[in-house]
Amino acid sequence: MLKVQQLTKSFGKNEVLHQISVDFPEHETTVVLGPSGSGKSTLLRSLNLLEHPESGQYAFDNRHFDFAKGITAKDTLMIRRQTEMVFQDYNLFPHLTVLKNVMEGQIQVLGLPKKEAEAKSWELLKKVGVASRAQAYPSQLSGGQAQRVAIARSLAMQPKYILLDEPTSALDPEAELEVLKVLKQLHEENRSLVIVTHNLAFAQQVADKIVFLEDGQILFNGTQEAFFSPKQTSRIKTFIQAMTFAQI
Amino acid sequence: MWSIIIKALPQLIAAGIKYTLPMAVIAFIFGLILALITALVRLSPRGGAFNIIKVIFRFYVWLFRSTPLLVQLFIVYFGLPYLRWAPLWPNGIKLGALTAGIITFSLNTGAYASETIRAAIASLPRGQWEAAYALGMTKRKVLQRIILPQALRVALPPLANSFIGLVKDTSLAASITIVEMFEVSQQIAAENYQPLLMYSLVALLYAVVCSLLSWLQGHLEKITSRYVLKRP
Ligand SMILES: Nc1ncnc2c1ncn2[C@@H]1O[C@H](COP(=O)(O)OP(=O)(O)OP(=O)(O)O)[C@@H](O)[C@H]1O
Ligand SMILES: [Mg+2]
Repeated sequence: MLKVQQLTKSFGKNEVLHQISVDFPEHETTVVLGPSGSGKSTLLRSLNLLEHPESGQYAFDNRHFDFAKGITAKDTLMIRRQTEMVFQDYNLFPHLTVLKNVMEGQIQVLGLPKKEAEAKSWELLKKVGVASRAQAYPSQLSGGQAQRVAIARSLAMQPKYILLDEPTSALDPEAELEVLKVLKQLHEENRSLVIVTHNLAFAQQVADKIVFLEDGQILFNGTQEAFFSPKQTSRIKTFIQAMTFAQI
Repeated sequence: MWSIIIKALPQLIAAGIKYTLPMAVIAFIFGLILALITALVRLSPRGGAFNIIKVIFRFYVWLFRSTPLLVQLFIVYFGLPYLRWAPLWPNGIKLGALTAGIITFSLNTGAYASETIRAAIASLPRGQWEAAYALGMTKRKVLQRIILPQALRVALPPLANSFIGLVKDTSLAASITIVEMFEVSQQIAAENYQPLLMYSLVALLYAVVCSLLSWLQGHLEKITSRYVLKRP
């Protein structure tokens, strides 16, 4: 279980998240929606401790942390190990081959022997459909391939949660489809996923839960049936219409 | 003429192997270590009391980049013996010529190279740090495995420049009594009254070494840039 309560984060004087409380159930796919600048990335990055919110509680399984008191380096490493991040612009390691990108964390962080890490990496690259590019460098990949490698890299760490920040926003529709297929498969395997996306059609297919953020506050937190229901508030209806280009 | 060259060449080469090259190599290695430490300190996000350490390293870089190398050599070799301070050095700091030379060259190279390394690390996208941290790596691992290998590629050409510059700058050590290649050429010229020939010969030797280094640089650049797409 991953949960934050009363989470507040500012950049300088600009308070970006205002006392947010939300939980991300295990083995479910939580989709985070919201307009640009609403704080979606900041929320996701806070879960991985790439951002340090100034106050709020953070619960991971049975461990409880208080952002105001700070989280020790050791706990930070533990949490990061269990929550992998997939970025919009992939952030693969350019100096390592695709295979080594997937092996790196297993060897350096999990301490697996090289042989074992390599076998596991091949398996994961097959799973995401880029095994044929295992010996290529990231600069030689298409965007869709690169993002699937990034997903394999995060899976390799056997994390409890995978956090994906607009994983398909930099891709053309066909490459996006390839990545979404992989994500849908992960969803069907009942992995714990948190996905920030602007793709409502995809959200509708995979979301067990939807969180809608606006101006650093949660306007909706519930099932996707409720989110897309006709009885929804007018603000969210407008958002859905805009995102699906229902009225141009 | 050939007989003069054939007579002088072995002495010059011997001085090169005995002093010029070891001085350059050792000072470059120490310089690089110092440069890396300096760059990491200056890039560190830590504040508070750590700021004092940052100021000290900034002062060091400023000092060695703002004064002539020849003057630095003179201060360390001729000047420090007069730095008398009862608790530590009651008789001043007396260094052997070679030690003084290597220390000065190391500090000088370290100051310049630290700027090169600092810029190379800073040029890498923030996402590289974040992706590595997200995997759960410690800062040490992130630097070792992800950041420094990439920074090395960026820093290689300017660092090679520094090394080539250092090889030539070791000729300044002649002025603090070290009998390196240039000093030997001066001694021979004083004996045989062939300054043009002798200084041209020693210049040629420096050029040969530096050309080899340029070639090595090109080779290393190829290796470290394997992963970069070639421009059309
Ligand atoms: N490192 C930062 N420094 C200063 N301000 C920041 C920083 N990161 C984000 N912000 C600000 O915080 C607010 C929320 O940003 P965030 O990236 O979380 O939004 P988002 O919902 O992910 O938007 P998008 O859909 O465009 O990605 C924005 O106003 C942004 O300008
Ligand atoms: Mg964002």
